[in-house]
Amino acid sequence: MAAHHLDVTDVTCPLTWVRTKLALERLAPGQQLDVRCREGEALENVPRSAAEAGHDVAVEGTLVRIVRR
Amino acid sequence: MSDDRRAFLRGLVRSAAGQAGAPQEAQPAAAGLSDADVERYARQLVLPEWSEAAQLALREATVLVVGAGALGSPVAAYLAGAGVGRLGIVDADDVEVSNLHRQTLHFTPDLGVPKAQSAAAKLRFLNPEIVVEPYQARFAPAMVEDADLVVDCSDSFATRYEVNAACCAARVALVEGGVTGLAGLVMAIRPGDTACYRCAFPEPPPPGAAPSCAEGGVLGPAAGVIGSLQGLEAIRLLAGLDGALLDAFLHVDLHDHAFLRVAVTRRPGCRDCGAI
Repeated sequence: MAAHHLDVTDVTCPLTWVRTKLALERLAPGQQLDVRCREGEALENVPRSAAEAGHDVAVEGTLVRIVRR
Repeated sequence: MSDDRRAFLRGLVRSAAGQAGAPQEAQPAAAGLSDADVERYARQLVLPEWSEAAQLALREATVLVVGAGALGSPVAAYLAGAGVGRLGIVDADDVEVSNLHRQTLHFTPDLGVPKAQSAAAKLRFLNPEIVVEPYQARFAPAMVEDADLVVDCSDSFATRYEVNAACCAARVALVEGGVTGLAGLVMAIRPGDTACYRCAFPEPPPPGAAPSCAEGGVLGPAAGVIGSLQGLEAIRLLAGLDGALLDAFLHVDLHDHAFLRVAVTRRPGCRDCGAI
């Protein structure tokens, strides 16, 4: 299944996670969202928030791959 | 969203932009949240309990706030800030200097201005994306008919029972509240499904037993606590969050910081909700 894509490199906290969270809400369980993050705050917080929300998370460079729970 | 409402919103945005001296474009109405919405409501959207659906439920909601005083100020401010799409503000009184210690939507330059108008002006500055409708009038039962939810922020038992009866008759959700001194009470009601205010308190106190806000004292922050709890319950009901104060009231005594949740049940034969 093709992953959906989101770029949050143009926003800062809390919008980095808010935009990711809203994009995830639109997906069905099992669908994947690839989120391009800036290094620093976003790359630390987006994966952590996604994991806390119960999603499966993998980080590859500045790409955060999230599978909706 | 209707064309009328869209035009009204554009007018509000233009007038707020003109007064603030900053050029602003009205956002076109969208089925989902706009980028501006996401930014404005980011700190609630980020909550695990919140979602785009919850935010849209608020945007689609019409809420009537009865009373623009000590309780109505925090209630209306929080509901406007949270993005309730249409807010009606009912109050027949003018701003007096003795109001200002607790009625946080009114300021000294507002003395003599109708409270409904004074409140509406502040709420439009707070959130130009919503529609605020001031009613400079005493509460009338017909006012609840277009509302999805009513928050009773009145300061008399007579009005409180009148609002409860009107909401029961129209089956409109209600958040009751009252404060005096350092204590108060909050109760959420879904008429026909859960206990109403009269189920919990079948009769008002005898005349003279309970001081009105005008006769008794009240500390501003105590009213702020009760009003904030009312605002939270209203948001909870509108967005369908768990844990609403249904079939219960919360008694808050800030003398000793005691919060007591008291369970209540529907009363068969209740004069207000027994027949629905």
